[in-house]
Amino acid sequence: MAHKRSVLTPTLIAIVGFLTVCPVIMLVFGSFSTGLGAFGEFTLDKYIKAYTDPELFGIIVNTIIFVLGSSIVATGLALFLAYLNTRTDIPFKFLFRIISIIPMMIPHILFSVSWVLLLNPSNGLINLFLRQIPGLEDMAINIYSLPGMILVEGLLDLPIAYLILAPALASFDIALEESSKVCGSTTLRTLFRVTLPVLRPAILAAFILSLVRSLASFAVPSVIGMPGRIYVLATHIYQSVATGFAADFGKAAAIGMSVLATSVTLIYVYRYLTAEGEKYVTISSRGYRPTVIELKGAKYPLFGIVGILSMVLIVLPVLVLFYTSLVPYSMIPSAKAFSMMSWKHWIEVINDPISLLSLKNSVFLGVVGATLGVTLSIFVAYVIVKIRSHASGVLESLSFLSFSFPGIVIGVGFMWFFVRTPLYATIWSLLIGYIATYLPYGVRPLTSAFVQVHSHLEESSQVCGAGAFTTMRRIVIPLLIPGIVSGWILMATMFVRELTLSVVLSRPGTEVLAVQIFRFSEDGLWGQLSALGIMMIFISTALVLMATFVGIKFKPVEEGG
Amino acid sequence: MEIHIKNVSKFYYSGGKTIKALDNVDLTIPANQIFTLLGPSGCGKTTLLRCIVGLESPDSGEIEIGGEVVWSSAKNIFVPTENRGLGMVFQTYAIWPHMNVFNNVAYPLQTRKLPKDVIRRKVEKTLRFVQLEGFEGRPATKLSGGQQQRVALARALVAEPKVILFDEPLSNLDAKLREETREELRTFLTDLQITAVYVTHDRIEALALSDIVAVMNKGQIIEAGAPRKIYFNAAHRFVADFIGRTNLIESTVTSQEGAVTRVDCAIGSVTCRKQADMKPDDKVTLCLRPEFIRLKRGDADQSQNVFNGQIQSLVFIGEAYEGEITIQDARLFIKIEPDSDIGVGDSVNFTVDPENCLLVSR
Repeated sequence: MAHKRSVLTPTLIAIVGFLTVCPVIMLVFGSFSTGLGAFGEFTLDKYIKAYTDPELFGIIVNTIIFVLGSSIVATGLALFLAYLNTRTDIPFKFLFRIISIIPMMIPHILFSVSWVLLLNPSNGLINLFLRQIPGLEDMAINIYSLPGMILVEGLLDLPIAYLILAPALASFDIALEESSKVCGSTTLRTLFRVTLPVLRPAILAAFILSLVRSLASFAVPSVIGMPGRIYVLATHIYQSVATGFAADFGKAAAIGMSVLATSVTLIYVYRYLTAEGEKYVTISSRGYRPTVIELKGAKYPLFGIVGILSMVLIVLPVLVLFYTSLVPYSMIPSAKAFSMMSWKHWIEVINDPISLLSLKNSVFLGVVGATLGVTLSIFVAYVIVKIRSHASGVLESLSFLSFSFPGIVIGVGFMWFFVRTPLYATIWSLLIGYIATYLPYGVRPLTSAFVQVHSHLEESSQVCGAGAFTTMRRIVIPLLIPGIVSGWILMATMFVRELTLSVVLSRPGTEVLAVQIFRFSEDGLWGQLSALGIMMIFISTALVLMATFVGIKFKPVEEGG
Repeated sequence: MEIHIKNVSKFYYSGGKTIKALDNVDLTIPANQIFTLLGPSGCGKTTLLRCIVGLESPDSGEIEIGGEVVWSSAKNIFVPTENRGLGMVFQTYAIWPHMNVFNNVAYPLQTRKLPKDVIRRKVEKTLRFVQLEGFEGRPATKLSGGQQQRVALARALVAEPKVILFDEPLSNLDAKLREETREELRTFLTDLQITAVYVTHDRIEALALSDIVAVMNKGQIIEAGAPRKIYFNAAHRFVADFIGRTNLIESTVTSQEGAVTRVDCAIGSVTCRKQADMKPDDKVTLCLRPEFIRLKRGDADQSQNVFNGQIQSLVFIGEAYEGEITIQDARLFIKIEPDSDIGVGDSVNFTVDPENCLLVSR
C-alpha cells in the first residue's frame, strides 16, 4: 500500500503539472520569441511592439471599466438575492436555486447573442418594439457599448457570486445580529455595522472571483464589444492571433503575460480571503435557523424584481433564440411573424457540413473529455484528501492553479506547445487543453465527496474482513458516485460550450459548437446561429440528464439481499 | 481469547518533536472479560486499540491474540486487519450510509463468502439479540443514534469474533441514552462471554462496564485492576485523582503500627488503613473522597479522625449538596445529602473511617 502511494502522488504531480505549468512556460518562452516557427531565438521585440501600441492604453482603460463594472453588478445583485433568500420571508424561494444554477447551463455566447438580438440598435427586438410607440420612433438602445457589456457580463457572473454569498449568509450566526439589536441598533444599522462587515471576506471573495471571470471573458467582449469597436484585452489578444494577414502569437503571448499575472494574483488573494473567511464567519453548530425579517409591504415589489431577474436570466435568452431560429429575419412577434415561421434555418444548419462537424466534435469532447477529466480528478482528489503530505499540498495548489487561467491566454500558451507536436490541429489538442483549464471543476466536487468518506467507514470495512479491493468496490466507490456524477456534469457542460480556449486552438476540421456559433455571429447569420444554439442547449441538457440517470441507475443504496 | 501486548511502543513525529503515543506498554488482557482502557484524551488508549485491531502498526514490540502473533517487529510479522477476525465498534459508528441495516450487518459474513441462507439466519439472530428485529430493510442513516449504535454492535458481533473492540462508542449519545445503552451493553457482553476491549475517557462508564480497568497516561499503563480496587485502593495519585473526585492532601508519615498508618497533614493527624510498609517521614498523598466525609453540626472533642471546620460554600445539584469546608488552612470538597439543613458558615465536625483514607505515592 505504502509503495503504491509513493508512486501515485509523483505521477499525478507530473500529469497535473504538465497540464497546468506547460502552457504557462510555453507562454513565457513564446513571449520572448520571434514567432511560432522560430522558437529558439530570444527577443524583446514582442514586448516592445505589444506595449508601445498606441491603442493599448484605451484598451486597458476599457478592460478596467468593463471588469470592475460587471463585478460590481454581479456582486451587488448576488448580495441582494442571497440576503432576500436567506434572511427574509420572500415567497417562492425555490426560484433562487434556479437562478443560481440554470444560467450555468446556458452557454455564455448564447446569452450574449440573445441580448444582441434584443437590443442591437438597428433591429433589436426591444428597439423595434419601442419604435412603435409614438414619440419613440428614433429609439435605439445600443447594446454595443460598455454599459451593455457590463450589464450582460454582470448577469453572467451573478450565479458564481451568488454561490459564494448564499452559504456565507446562511451560516451567519444570528446571535451577532441579535446582540447588536439588544445594544439598541435598528435593523438597517445592524445590517451596515454588523452583518455586512462580518460578511466582508465572502463579499470580497465573490467580487474577486467575478473580476477573474470577467477578465477572462471572451463571449461578451467578442459578441457585444467587437461590433461596437470596443476592445478589451481578451479581444485584443484574439485579434493578434486570428485576424489580419499574419497571426502574431508572440505579441499575443506578451500581452497575455500581464493578463495571466493579474489573474493569478487575484486568485491568490481570493484563496487568502476564503481561508481567512473560514476563521471569520461564525458557523453555528446547532443549526438553528436565522430569524426571518418580515418584508411586509415590500414583499411583493421585491419579489417582482426577483421575478424579472429570473425571466431575464433564464426564460428570455432561450425564448429569443428559439423565436429567431424560426422567423426569416428580425421582426417583432406579430401575426405576420408567426405566419412566416418555418424550420428553414434548422434545415440549413443540419445540411451545413461544418455545423455538423462541430456538433460531432463537441459531443465527443463533452463525453470523452469529461470522462477522462473526472477519472484524473478522482485520483487527484484522493491524494489531496486522503494522503495529506507535502507532495499532496503541491498537487492541490497545481490543480487549483488553472482556476485562474484566462482561456484565451492559456490557449495561446498551448498553441506554442501543440505546434511542436503531432497533436497540432487535432481534436486531442482541444481535449488536453479543456482538461487542463477546467480541472478544478472536476476536482472540487470529488474532494468534497472524499471528505465525506470518513476514514472510519473504510476502516470498519477492513475490520469486517474486507481487503483493499472489496473496500474500494463496496464502500468507497458507491459513496463517491454523487461526486463523480456532479463532476462529470460540470465538466461535460463546460466542454460542450467551451469558447475561449477553442477560439485559439480550433483549426479547420476541429471546429466546435461555440466557435461555429461565434462565426455565425460574425457573419450576422442570426437564424442559423439560433438554431445551432438551441441544439447546443439540448445537447447540454441531454448530457446532464444522461449522467443523472446513470447516477441513479448505480444508485449507491444496495437493496436488502 | 487472551491478548498479550509485549513492550509495544509507538512514536509520532510532528514539527521535529517526538511524541510517545505508546511507551513500552506491557499488558495482558484476560479472556472473556470486559477490559477498559481509561485515560485522558491523548493518553494513547485509542492508539493501543488501533494497534490491536491492526489499523496502526507499533514501532516496536509484539502483539499476540489468542496465541497467534499478529504483529511483531522482531519477527517481522504483520497480519493485516482484515485477517485478524476481530469485531470493532467505532466512535462514529461508521455505519455505511449507502447500505440498509441488513447489508451493514451482513457485510462481515459477505466478505467471508458464506452461503446466502446462512448469512440471512445469522443476521436475523444478531439483530434479534440487539433488539433491532424488523429493521433489516431500513436505510441505516434513517435510524436514531442509539439504533445506529446497535447496528454497529450487531455488525461487530455477527461473525462471532474472538475479540470485540470498542472505541468510545457511547460518546456520541446524549446523557440519558448513554446510561441506558451502557447497561444494555453490559448485559450483551456478559451474556456473550466474549473478550471485549473498551476505550473511554469517562470514568463512570469504565467503572460501570468493566471487569478490569486499566488507567493510562502519557502512553503508559499506570495501573490496572477491578473497578473497586482502582477506586478504593489505587496505588498512584494520578489514578486516584482520575477515577473520581477526591481531596488530595500532602502528608508525612508519622508512624505505622498494627493495621494502621498515621500521617500528619494540613487538617491534623489522620489515621489510615495500612496498605503498604512505610517509614516515618515518608512523603505521601492522602486521598479523601468527598462522599466519605461525614458531617455533623457543632464541635466535637478531638479523638481519632474527627475534625472541626466551617462550611465555606454549598451548591445544590439535585441529588446532593456539593461544597467546600475549611479546616484551619485547608479546604476540602464535601458532598452532603440533599435534605440536609446544614448551611454556609455553620461550624461542623466530620469523621472519616480509616478504611476510607487512602495513601498513595506522590
